[in-house]
Amino acid sequence: MNCCKTVTDKAQQALAWVDERFPLSFLWKSHVSEYYAPKNFNFWYLFGSLALLVLVIQIVTGIFLVMNYKPDASLNLAGVPVAFASVESTIMRDVWGGKYIRYMHSTGASAFFIVVYLHMFRGMLYGSYRKPRELIWLFGMGIFLCLMGEAFFGYLLPWGQMSFWGAQVIVNLFSAVPVIGGQLSEFIRGDFVVSDATLNRFFAFHVIAIPLVLLGLVTSHLIALHEVGSNNPDGVEIKKHKDANGIPLDGIPFYPYHVIKDVFGVSIFLIVFAAVIFFAPEGGGYFLEFNNFFPADALKTPPHIAPVWYFTPYYSMLRATTSDFLPFLWAFIALISVLTWRGAASCRFVRGLCVLVPLAAYWGFFGLSAFGLTVPLTALLLPGVKFTVLGVDLARGLDAKFWGVVMMGGSVMLFALLPWLDRSPVKSIRYKGVLVKTALVIFVVAFLILGYFGTQPPSPVGNILSQICTILYLSFFGLMPWYSRLDKTKPVPERLTWK
Amino acid sequence: MSDNKENASNGESCCACSLDPERRALLAATAGVGAIVGLGVAAPFVGSFLPSERAKAAGAPVEYDLSKLAPGQMDTIEWQGKPVWIVRRTPEMVAALKKNDANLVDPNSERSEQPEYAKGTARAIKDEYFVCLGVCTHLGCSPNPKFLLGAESGMGEDWNGGFLCPCHGSRFDLAGRVFKSMPAPVNLVIPPHSYLSDTRLLIGKDSKES
Amino acid sequence: MSLLNKTLSVALLMLALVGQGVVQAQEIKLDKAPVKFDNATLQQGAKLFVNYCLNCHSASALRYNTLTQIGLTEQQIMDNLMFTADKSGEQMIVALRRDDARKWFGVAPPDLSVVARARASELGSGPDWLYTYLRSFYRDDSRPTGWNNVVFPNVGMPHALWSLQGVQEARFAEVDDGTGKKVQHLAGLELTQPGQLSKQEYDEQVASLVSFLTWMGEPGQETRHALGWVVLAVLSVLAIFSYLLKRAFWKDVH
Repeated sequence: MNCCKTVTDKAQQALAWVDERFPLSFLWKSHVSEYYAPKNFNFWYLFGSLALLVLVIQIVTGIFLVMNYKPDASLNLAGVPVAFASVESTIMRDVWGGKYIRYMHSTGASAFFIVVYLHMFRGMLYGSYRKPRELIWLFGMGIFLCLMGEAFFGYLLPWGQMSFWGAQVIVNLFSAVPVIGGQLSEFIRGDFVVSDATLNRFFAFHVIAIPLVLLGLVTSHLIALHEVGSNNPDGVEIKKHKDANGIPLDGIPFYPYHVIKDVFGVSIFLIVFAAVIFFAPEGGGYFLEFNNFFPADALKTPPHIAPVWYFTPYYSMLRATTSDFLPFLWAFIALISVLTWRGAASCRFVRGLCVLVPLAAYWGFFGLSAFGLTVPLTALLLPGVKFTVLGVDLARGLDAKFWGVVMMGGSVMLFALLPWLDRSPVKSIRYKGVLVKTALVIFVVAFLILGYFGTQPPSPVGNILSQICTILYLSFFGLMPWYSRLDKTKPVPERLTWK
Repeated sequence: MSDNKENASNGESCCACSLDPERRALLAATAGVGAIVGLGVAAPFVGSFLPSERAKAAGAPVEYDLSKLAPGQMDTIEWQGKPVWIVRRTPEMVAALKKNDANLVDPNSERSEQPEYAKGTARAIKDEYFVCLGVCTHLGCSPNPKFLLGAESGMGEDWNGGFLCPCHGSRFDLAGRVFKSMPAPVNLVIPPHSYLSDTRLLIGKDSKES
Repeated sequence: MSLLNKTLSVALLMLALVGQGVVQAQEIKLDKAPVKFDNATLQQGAKLFVNYCLNCHSASALRYNTLTQIGLTEQQIMDNLMFTADKSGEQMIVALRRDDARKWFGVAPPDLSVVARARASELGSGPDWLYTYLRSFYRDDSRPTGWNNVVFPNVGMPHALWSLQGVQEARFAEVDDGTGKKVQHLAGLELTQPGQLSKQEYDEQVASLVSFLTWMGEPGQETRHALGWVVLAVLSVLAIFSYLLKRAFWKDVH
């Protein structure tokens, strides 16, 4: 007993010594042991800590993979690209335990997106993006974009057929940018095709540039969260009701309660994670695509190119944006503009935008023709006169290909607008009415269908359904200011509902 | 002191005391299993630092054809990425080894590293062929051959042939034995080796193993 | 979680509906490969691979001494299976120059290390594809090599196993393509010149070769599976303890 006490005393002294020089106890208290989080977190709230866990898994496995990976597109003695061989022979076979490290990393990539998509959906369910948590949401969007970048750059590294042609297709999207497009995609590749130069720069981005940004954003995300406090499934602020010591009545310390709950969540996650690694590392061709077991070949495109599953909803929207889809897209923009015009009687600036945006979009989509269905007006009035500036035909508008790229990027970015689109008086889905709930169900279904068609080869049925779902996806965001306001909400309780 | 006593009786001075027995037991159990999981996870990461199959393949035993080596000549081959010398010693060279004994640190190679069959003065299975790892036992440089005798070698009047390490000047005789008061502490290492036939030498493997 | 349920059921229903519209009638049907991982089968497959494939195709991710995992000794490997390499730790690389190969076959024969993983598709598993492919060569004089293949039309490789299987010829049938036009349709293959093996024997040999190729795609797959059960067991214990721990701590949250 005495011995135990001496040790404890010594530890106290050591801690005091540190605390005089570095705010260790303060940080621990303010962010962990005395950070009060709502007690009614449900399972949706596990995905935040799981995302952090997967980030750690990716960084640690990534560091060990880099020790044996070689970003080199040249062929070895057996005629296999060195990069491909460094993955398939060195890491997967020659290095002790290497294949488990690799499977952890490849499964981790998909796990990251599963966890993050669910984490984002949690935010949408309970209005976690609403005031005062807009910045948390925006930092989160930054993390999401970084993840997409990581996934895209990282996917080139095994230098298989899907790596190569996926990168080829995505980089060529930039060639849709008017005027500078062609040079832009060459600039990104550093060559006329995806090549060794591309592989090396993607490697640098994947292993150091984006991870650094990612870590900064994750830190900001957490600092912002701890500044305003966590939301909860009821969407009420626990800070409104505090006890005499200033502690929220409905809050419990993050440590030990939430930490121990998260440990349980982690153990369940690890069971699923390990099951994939040990029994289905290819994830049925969705986590490791079969075609990627062929080394990259610049002369032969595989019969069916599909991005990895987590990109497929956006890939579908890219494919759905064809020239016959643009009139519908324009009608949608016009509708939003009309609605906004009616709601903004007092603001001339907004009303001006409501006229300008649809006009600009019309010209961009169709030029001077009638919805792209006829020849441009200029061709009728002034036949033979060209209105081409820097390669862009002003009378015809821009290619549908360009708008597809805009659609793909823009639809990701729409999430960032949620804090300002949602006008519902309540935060949580629990107290929202049938309109918002229906909209959310339609959104999720549309998202899943888009994801499904992104994995499939193009087909007429798929294309039409993708176009419908694209409009539904856009409507979820675009019409939100109106349906969220019209929605019949239920009264929100003053305190948390618990048990 | 009295404050501490009070705290201890309140059960607040250390975390473990404030836990009820159920929590303490479960905490220990979870931490225990968690540690097992942690060790399991660490295994592939730690293991990945071991020499890979590629390294092992590159470090496999090497065959050497002795017939192309003239008496008094030396050849260097690579085994496990390290230089291995094969010296075909003339009878005079072998005879001269004895003369060095008095000036050596470990003339009978009792503290040095070599297979059992390569101990003693000549440190070889057959006196004629000396096989040795060309890595200085001081800090790992590769010594240079100095096979000329006496003053001609630039190594002093009584030099009987041997090796000189360029880094810190350690001297070794033609059996890889280090001279006294040199930086290198022990004799050069003899790798396992065996004869497949009279003229075929296998470096990296004892005859016992095969 | 009624919302979640609703969402999922609507999504599944819609996926099922659209899925029907997408799945097209597949012309090529793959036979199920009887893959077996016992040492006898794998050794037989290894022998076939070394004798019939390794002349042109490398398997550079595989080192000869990895074959000790299928019950062969280093001595056996060196005596019976290594024709070009001199150390058992070497990779299975062929001496064939890529430029020559390209001249002869139009393409350089691909490295086969992970071919069983690469050939998986919506039609079937990689082993199924290989099993069907190796049994579907037929005589086609319009091809430079004189051979064609049902599952790999206009394949660059001649039928390497023809002495074992014999010669097959294609039978075509006239089929209405739906618009009234008649098109030639591959109706089946017929063995016109028997090989050294009967059909059943040949199928068994190909099965052992495919088993070996599958094993080669990731040696130690069974170890991974066996290890997986241990890991899942330990993690389940962790889950149980951490659940009890969570309950023990959360009992005082009111």
